[in-house]
Amino acid sequence: MGIRTFRVARSPHNGISRSDRFEVLLEDRMTVLDALFRIQREQDATMSFRCACRVGMCGTCAMYIDRVPRLACQTRVITLRSRVVSVEPLPNLPVLKDLVVSLDPFFEEWKKVRPALHPLDGEAGELARIPADSAYARHAPRKRDCITCGACFSACGIRASNRNYLGPAAINKAFLRLLDPRDGAKRERLRILNDEHQGIWRCHTQFNCTVACPKGIDLTDSIVRLKRAMLRPERLLRG
Amino acid sequence: MSEDAARKLVEKYRWQFSGMLAWGVQRVTGLLLLLYLLLHVRTVHKLSEGPAAFDQAMAFFRHPVFKLLEIALLGTVILHALNGVRITLIDLGVGHQRHRQLFWIFALGAGALIFLAGAIPIFLASVLKVGT
Repeated sequence: MGIRTFRVARSPHNGISRSDRFEVLLEDRMTVLDALFRIQREQDATMSFRCACRVGMCGTCAMYIDRVPRLACQTRVITLRSRVVSVEPLPNLPVLKDLVVSLDPFFEEWKKVRPALHPLDGEAGELARIPADSAYARHAPRKRDCITCGACFSACGIRASNRNYLGPAAINKAFLRLLDPRDGAKRERLRILNDEHQGIWRCHTQFNCTVACPKGIDLTDSIVRLKRAMLRPERLLRG
Repeated sequence: MSEDAARKLVEKYRWQFSGMLAWGVQRVTGLLLLLYLLLHVRTVHKLSEGPAAFDQAMAFFRHPVFKLLEIALLGTVILHALNGVRITLIDLGVGHQRHRQLFWIFALGAGALIFLAGAIPIFLASVLKVGT
């Protein structure tokens, strides 16, 4: 399989950013995460990165691989065309050490849209029925797989220049909740989404979030649909 | 840049970052149009100083370089306008799932055709002086 060079970003030293180069002997079907483990095991035990499930369902190993936010466990080295594979921490998030970032800013925005379900009738004895032809039933299967990896948040050019912007993941979550006929916190979510400094109107449809999402969620689609729906918010409130 | 590298670059931007590229194009063309507008307002303002001042200002723009810049202005206007239509459509929720095609075929492809239809006659008449 040959040898591939990796350039891995390391924590800044005395305020100066730096990176280290490693030669890695490739194996069949090797992922970037496998390569990082090999580097850590064989060349530099101090290198830090984060991972958990290794099957692309936890989002923990999201990194900036060859200048695109991707899940390290789902990125096969052989699919990367660059001569030297660059691995960096996700942009738009504070670096804790080497490739490990704090997701605090991401979840601060996530919490603002009240992502949990706030039931209309908490005392209801019966299970809620969601008609198969409802907007929620139509959109939810393609929108609900968010694993909160932060890839969209770090890819977003608007978030890079506006620290108040909610970001694509939080807006997508709010979109799903607004469509949910069981939800009772629509008015508050609409107020946050409609805010001129942090809400949907900040999105300039760069589509970077949609490109970056490892679960294939069309996040820009959610934002665009919300923009259109916001022209007649009473329809959203009526469900 | 080798042919292979150029192909990779086009592929990357065409299928991954069309949206970002279109966003950048809109900003750059917008700034260029703003510069043109400032120049235009300044020149028209010369009218208030009398016909001689205006004629003197216009004489400056008769240089062949400005004829080429006029053709470049046509391209900038067409690109900005068509990409603006694309952005409006996307914001209205029309065709946003085909935003790449809207950029490459509508804004750039159709834009290039319109540009050539306008630029060739300007070039022939103003720069090569054909038919004058």
